[in-house]
Amino acid sequence: MRLTRRQTLLGATAALLPVPAIAAPEYRLAPQQVADGVWLFPGAQDSIARGNGGAICNIVMLETPEGAVVVDTGGTARHGAALREFADQRFGGVAASINTHHHPDHWFGNQAFADRPIHALPGTIVAQKTGAQALSDGLYRILGSWMQGTAPLPATVQAGGDLTIGGRSLTVMALSGHTGADLALIDQRTGILVAGDLLFLDRAPSFPDADIAAWRAALSTLGGLPVTGTIPGHGPFHRDSRAVAQTLAYLDAFAARMDTAAQQGLAPIEALAAGPMPQFAALAANPAEYRRAAVQQWRAFEISALPVIGGST
Amino acid sequence: MSAILCHRLPGGDAGLAAFGAGLTRPDRLDGGMWDMHRADLLGAPDAWRSDPGLRLLAPGNAEDARHVPILADATGLGPVERMVVTIDYSPFPLVLVFYPGRALPLLGFGVKYEIAGPTRASVLVGGEWIMGGVFIDAMGGGCSAPAATHARPDWQDGFGEMRARLWPDTGRLRVVIRHPMDTGLADGIPAHHLTDLTLADARGEEIARLEIHEPLEENPVLTFLLPLHLAQGPIGITARDTSGFRFSGKVAA
Repeated sequence: MRLTRRQTLLGATAALLPVPAIAAPEYRLAPQQVADGVWLFPGAQDSIARGNGGAICNIVMLETPEGAVVVDTGGTARHGAALREFADQRFGGVAASINTHHHPDHWFGNQAFADRPIHALPGTIVAQKTGAQALSDGLYRILGSWMQGTAPLPATVQAGGDLTIGGRSLTVMALSGHTGADLALIDQRTGILVAGDLLFLDRAPSFPDADIAAWRAALSTLGGLPVTGTIPGHGPFHRDSRAVAQTLAYLDAFAARMDTAAQQGLAPIEALAAGPMPQFAALAANPAEYRRAAVQQWRAFEISALPVIGGST
Repeated sequence: MSAILCHRLPGGDAGLAAFGAGLTRPDRLDGGMWDMHRADLLGAPDAWRSDPGLRLLAPGNAEDARHVPILADATGLGPVERMVVTIDYSPFPLVLVFYPGRALPLLGFGVKYEIAGPTRASVLVGGEWIMGGVFIDAMGGGCSAPAATHARPDWQDGFGEMRARLWPDTGRLRVVIRHPMDTGLADGIPAHHLTDLTLADARGEEIARLEIHEPLEENPVLTFLLPLHLAQGPIGITARDTSGFRFSGKVAA
């Protein structure tokens, strides 16, 4: 068969069609309904990386007659757009969205929800505004084309007190510890706790803005709540209280390890290189999260181990 | 046997092995700015080599470009005359020069990172240069950002405060001096950094000496290793900066 030049070009174009799909990878959502009208989009149990497009945290949608209430909006504009498309098709739109805290995997999808109210704690909105550029620079560097079109949009409505959206009542709790402002909520209809990153399960907690004492206090609050099930920020949905127990055990063991290292005269790179506590070494995202945390949290432990012995003369 | 203390933490030996144990692959070392820095900063030696007796612990990436923790342990080599720490693509390639003297050739410190690249520790042992290096990935900006202390109303609050502790069982000495370590690259903030630090014994005689340059971190923390007879203390610590301030303290075991 003899091909004309035009046919050759068309054939070549057809052969190239899959290429844009590779250059612009797609988010594949796998939602599960874990309770009456409570939909969980599980995040990859890993650090933000090109293999997951930044889709690492759990996203929750609560079904209402006025559309979905979307808790956390995804890690990139395109992740947000994929979530929005699902909400539009399955729930007839979006009533409102909520950002649990200012870490980028939880709110860089906000652009796709900009036409509806986006709620967050006041401290979260401040941190979103001050940190957006640096967080965005970091994510463009790690994620490359996954980040196409992402221009972070801070939340637009200050959350404080309980919310009723589309007839669905939400108890809103303003806590802190994982960051300076962490929102957790309970869906009154089902009694399900959506904990944000105050809770991790089978995945190493992250510490870039953590205050360990405040985090312990928040865990004590969450542990005392009568809930029927829990969706942690990272990790599987569960009915018992094991994310509270595991997160608390991790905080205690991490703090003890940093304190031991500082009190025995280790340099910070030795504490980092020693790797995570053996009982938590196999958690997803370790040893990477442990190594990051060792740098982020080291200074406070070190200063408490070194007494003042002199000064400017 | 290295003097690295990871084994003091449960599972720390396995962790250190998984981390690479501070050993560098010789084939990765000969590149970047090494030729120029060897000529400019090490006195253009004819030859150099790597050696497993020199360990350089550093993170694969800089979680905080203003504080990148590093430890160079040359206790596996013979007597070290001096140790020179350089960063390949830093606007200030020379970090410090350590003269261990009567201390052991181990030094922990933190640096600011302006751009991704290798950090190298080169030690002069018996007339021979031995070099270890680690590539550190970094977003950068550590040298050109203002010191965190300038965000406070008065950066002089607590300026020069010296903290230290001596561990007589291991010979470890750790020292921190509160200092902005301004490089001069941040807008409107002139260079102001420590220039040298000296350790002395109870009779005031020098044990070890450190020449310090711009890339050392803000509020630098230094880790030394002393032979056990000196680690019984007391140890006198003195330091100076570019503005003529002097700092001193004495630490007992």
